Amino acid sequence: MARGVLVLLGTKKGVYVFRSGSARERWRLEGPYFPGQPVYHVAFDPRDGQSLYAGINMTWGGPRVEISRDLGKTWKPGKNPAFPKGDERTFSRTWHIEAGHASEPDVMWLGTEPASLFKSTDRGESWESVRSLNDHPDTKHWSPGGGGLGLHSIVVDPADPKSMAIGISSAGMYETTDGGKTWTRHNEGLLSPVPQGPEGDYTCVHHVVGSPTVAGARFQQAHTGTYFKDAGDKKWTNVTKGLPTDYGFASAIHPRDPKMAYVFPLEFLERMSPTATGPGVWRTKDRGRTWTRLANGLPRGSRYEVMRDGMATDRLDPAGVYFGTTNGEIWGSADEGRSWSLIAQHLPPILSVETATL
Amino acid sequence: MTVKLHGAFSEFAGGARSVAVDAGDVASALAALVARHPSLAERLRDEHGKMREHVNIFANDEDMRYLDGERTALRDGDIVHIVPAVSGGEW
Repeated sequence: MARGVLVLLGTKKGVYVFRSGSARERWRLEGPYFPGQPVYHVAFDPRDGQSLYAGINMTWGGPRVEISRDLGKTWKPGKNPAFPKGDERTFSRTWHIEAGHASEPDVMWLGTEPASLFKSTDRGESWESVRSLNDHPDTKHWSPGGGGLGLHSIVVDPADPKSMAIGISSAGMYETTDGGKTWTRHNEGLLSPVPQGPEGDYTCVHHVVGSPTVAGARFQQAHTGTYFKDAGDKKWTNVTKGLPTDYGFASAIHPRDPKMAYVFPLEFLERMSPTATGPGVWRTKDRGRTWTRLANGLPRGSRYEVMRDGMATDRLDPAGVYFGTTNGEIWGSADEGRSWSLIAQHLPPILSVETATL
Repeated sequence: MTVKLHGAFSEFAGGARSVAVDAGDVASALAALVARHPSLAERLRDEHGKMREHVNIFANDEDMRYLDGERTALRDGDIVHIVPAVSGGEW
């Protein structure tokens, strides 16, 4: 029986942690930690149930990763990821931190800008460049999207520790099935926002998630639509039909049912929830065949922007769903999206939302 | 001489605001500072050893950029200031 849930917010001005019991009715703020410092992502390690990782991208002092071994009470910085000597690239931002496979309890993964993957084998204390990806021949064709050239999505397969996928803006999806020795671009089925050149099918993925319990089940919101991919699929399936727009950043997947997933559609260019429908999380229960807008409890007429890492589910039953907005509101649902409650408002712009089911 | 840490750089050194060092120039003063407070190493320089943006270093009251950079000579009694630039920010 779970003791409760933490909702972990990376904001423009620090880490905010909201704690609740398993009913998820009342929330208590812990923090903020690192006030005033931009935090792109906060990750929880479900393997030890105690570690948090915060990717801080500070103007003064540069980027760093802070580690807590006591759910946020105390923090200390790890050693920065570093490109090898002679490499012209410089670690400039952390985009995403992901715990490794359950069978590798000391492994952590880090996605950075410029788009690169780093691996830690000592629980984030130090990082090494995954050169098989970072020096991939494709890198010369990668180009920055609106937010920069970032590796922002990391999916660790729940069954096979050698199987992973990562997402880069703008390059697309790369997968490994040999533990990271080799990486192959797999953008089959994904539309591209620009005409494809002879160099290949590079495209702009926005946020990719994987089922934490079902092998190979992946879901994403891209620049050009919403897509599912299951184990054995040769290409991504476009499931945008039924959504108000083909654009957005945030995506989340149900912790047990890989056919159930959530997106937060936005208008292109304006990057705000569509005026025609109003704000809402859109959920599918049938792998994208049909979509339902979930807005019970959300203020009518409001408009929200939710960033790429700005929505997450917890592991409880029924699953909790959470999204954070750039106007500093964190919303939660304890019934898989049927109704929403405001957890807190008047926070700094929220850049990422993750959960820890305790 | 003394290295004085201002703003965020004091926080990165666990709250230290002033560190006495023996050094003949700014580079060796910074090296001695980092030896005393290793947590500052990655806050001052990137992985290639380049000084980060938004870091101002003064030898007494002059920006080292207008002197000899990190080769600026120091004498007993000099003060090196490490000051976060009033700059940066995004969004």
